[in-house]
Amino acid sequence: MTALTRIDEAGSTPLATASLNGILRVLTCGSVDDGKSTLIGRLLWDASDLFDDQRATLERGRRIDGGHPDYSLLVDGLVAEREQGITIDIAWRYFDTATRRFVVIDSPGHEQYTRNMASGASHADVAIMLVDARAGIKKQTRRHAAILDLVGLKRVVLAVNKMDLAGWSEPRFREIERDFQVIAARFHFDEAVAIPVSAALGDNVARPSDSMDWYRGPTLLSHLESLPSRGAEAAGPFRMPVQTVLRQGVDFRGLAGTVSSGVIHVGDPVVDPVSGRAANVKRIATFDGDLRRAAVGQAIVLQLDTDIDVSRGAILAAAEGRPHPARDLGTHLVWLSDTPFDTDNGYLLRTATDLVPVSAMEITSRLDLETLAEHPASTCAANDIVLARISLGRPTALDLFRNAGETGSFMLVDPISGATVAGGVVTELAGAEPKGARKAGVFVLSRDNLEGGLCADLGWGAADQVEFRRRANEVALLLSAAGIAVELDLQS
Amino acid sequence: MSAPLSHLDLLEAESIHIFREAAAQFRKPVLMYSIGKDSTVLLHLARKAFFPEKPPFPLLHVDTTWKFREMIAFRNKTARDLGLDLIVHTNQDGLARGINPIDHAPSVYTDVMKTAALKQALDMHGFDAAFGGARRDEEASRAKERVFSFRAAGHRWDPRKQRPEMWRLLNGRLGSGETVRVFPLSNWTEKDVWRYLAREKLDVVPLYFAAERPTVERNGQLLVVDDERFKLEPGEHVEARRVRFRTLGCYPLTAAVASEASDIEGVVAETLAARTSERVGRLIDHDQSGAMEKKKQEGYF
Ligand SMILES: Nc1nc2c(ncn2[C@@H]2O[C@H](COP(=O)(O)OP(=O)(O)OP(=O)(O)O)[C@@H](O)[C@H]2O)c(=O)[nH]1
Ligand SMILES: [Mg+2]
Repeated sequence: MTALTRIDEAGSTPLATASLNGILRVLTCGSVDDGKSTLIGRLLWDASDLFDDQRATLERGRRIDGGHPDYSLLVDGLVAEREQGITIDIAWRYFDTATRRFVVIDSPGHEQYTRNMASGASHADVAIMLVDARAGIKKQTRRHAAILDLVGLKRVVLAVNKMDLAGWSEPRFREIERDFQVIAARFHFDEAVAIPVSAALGDNVARPSDSMDWYRGPTLLSHLESLPSRGAEAAGPFRMPVQTVLRQGVDFRGLAGTVSSGVIHVGDPVVDPVSGRAANVKRIATFDGDLRRAAVGQAIVLQLDTDIDVSRGAILAAAEGRPHPARDLGTHLVWLSDTPFDTDNGYLLRTATDLVPVSAMEITSRLDLETLAEHPASTCAANDIVLARISLGRPTALDLFRNAGETGSFMLVDPISGATVAGGVVTELAGAEPKGARKAGVFVLSRDNLEGGLCADLGWGAADQVEFRRRANEVALLLSAAGIAVELDLQS
Repeated sequence: MSAPLSHLDLLEAESIHIFREAAAQFRKPVLMYSIGKDSTVLLHLARKAFFPEKPPFPLLHVDTTWKFREMIAFRNKTARDLGLDLIVHTNQDGLARGINPIDHAPSVYTDVMKTAALKQALDMHGFDAAFGGARRDEEASRAKERVFSFRAAGHRWDPRKQRPEMWRLLNGRLGSGETVRVFPLSNWTEKDVWRYLAREKLDVVPLYFAAERPTVERNGQLLVVDDERFKLEPGEHVEARRVRFRTLGCYPLTAAVASEASDIEGVVAETLAARTSERVGRLIDHDQSGAMEKKKQEGYF
């Protein structure tokens, strides 16, 4: 039996145990205090199966203008957040309608916590951008819009909030809507619907407003209910980043991973783009039995008909339109660390399952949040959104983000602290030169160079190999700092 | 075209992905096995993640010595049936000092027998990553937690300094002295856990199902008397009631609820219709406001 036939049988399962049909992840974003947490709290209050004890706790708590409970307390769960009345980190809330799971991610508006907003945004299917009707669009609103664009969000709802404090004014709403259309066009959002709301009073949140008869569009909730679930539209060529190798006896060497794009069938050919080696799928194994077919989102184990020596870090892909064995990347990234970018600081590039030393990195431009234009730049600091060129110490399989999101996104990691310093997407790819065709004047630091002396104390265990790569990267960094062009070749 | 994956299929696949990432990135992981329904799902997903191999890590149970007897029996049978290594750790120092949930405040007892005990066990075995069954829907500060939740030296959680976590990428690179808690069930709800237990036909501790049990009513909560250590307060008496547990913790700090749901279908139906949250039955959480966050900052799971 396959995982997929189980769903076809859902009709025969008792209603109580039936699964929901899909998931939609909804993000709130926008500038500080524009009412994001209040809006989400209000949505949970009006439309979700919130428990009685949670309702009672809120009723007993502090009140906001107009005597309403402070709905933001349903999401602002940290003590510091409640004390300061701001959101610091994203909150994840879950509620079900008859057919689908809503996952609501409430993000902080404060600039200092942009890294948390970026985390939330990358997980969302649709974003609700809040704007305070009195203040209109602010710099932080534009920053958030730029981050939505970067992480690949195409569906955005503009919620013009606090309409109660703006006299429920249609001209004011239209003015902000027009300003927002400019941003939506700049960032190529496919869908940018504007809805006038009052989060505190609940107008146009889950029920239509009595105070704005000039507005005839949907409420926020009915608009969200009309959107397709996550994954329902997934297409694209087959990709599976290999997470780990699982064995049974001498005959079974399985490559475990989650299908990140496309579909795979038993018998289909797959390639490892870095080595160029190809094989056919012999078995798609799972705990619940073998499958004939697996699609995006499924966690599986692939057994190939010939052993092509792939392991963690590789991507198995359809032969047509395969990922690039990339060395030089054009990227679009948001800097998340409080420590600014530093050319002398080595970085590691974390892809779906690979961790690759960065041998050189250069910022080329930075987004101006007033004009939304790119300006030439060579530095970047916390919360900046920049374009950068990255060269890798060895090739790894990558896609253009716009073609295959999961295999075209990355995080930059500080090798010493382990901290995630940036999140980004691949916008341009240049491949590795074929083996043997090295450029003149480039020193190739190979495994042989290192094994004898510097790494003589290391064995073949996983931990030792991590250390091996770390040392190789350090040596490469020192040599390039001394003006020697270096390339790492750590294949065994 | 086949039907899209259901939400339980998506959650299952996401959890498997997290298990595999953590096992590949950390040197020495351990699975925190607390015997309850979430641990049952967690362990089942771990088995799926590494099939056809066994999960490449042991189970760790922090035994306060105040678990229900049926829980301990279930724990031992599970480890034996699945052929998994089980490490049971008790804070011997706390035991010697006689710290218990009857004579001591719940916060003191939890600090010593759970939080400190867990830190001891993790340090003693040098585990750099611990899987836990915590869900974001459980509680307001949990709703803020990452999938890879980093702890500074001393196991402290700093909610202001959580690492960014973008897309499905999981960065498990540890800084010096850091360890990590991994939460594969982050995006599951209580309802999902029961729906999944039913779908996968998994056994859980029988205490989750309604049966006649000796109970005492205290402060509006129903406590089950499991052995002679339970002390009756003046005016209290033991009465047989049909009850079950929504969440299993330490006896007598976890309250039962009156229920007729004696099988898994019944429990799923009750869970889907529930009007109160499961943590209502957890006495330690009511100790003070922001209680869970404080405990977590100190290193509680
Ligand atoms: N009158 C009125 N007040 C509102 C409305 N929405 C939010 N507020 C108030 O605006 C203030 C800020 O609301 P929050 O929901 O905390 O704002 P936020 O956008 O979540 O703020 P951060 O998360 O810190 O960026 C609070 O005092 C709310 O009560 C509204 O529709 N009308
Ligand atoms: Mg907020």
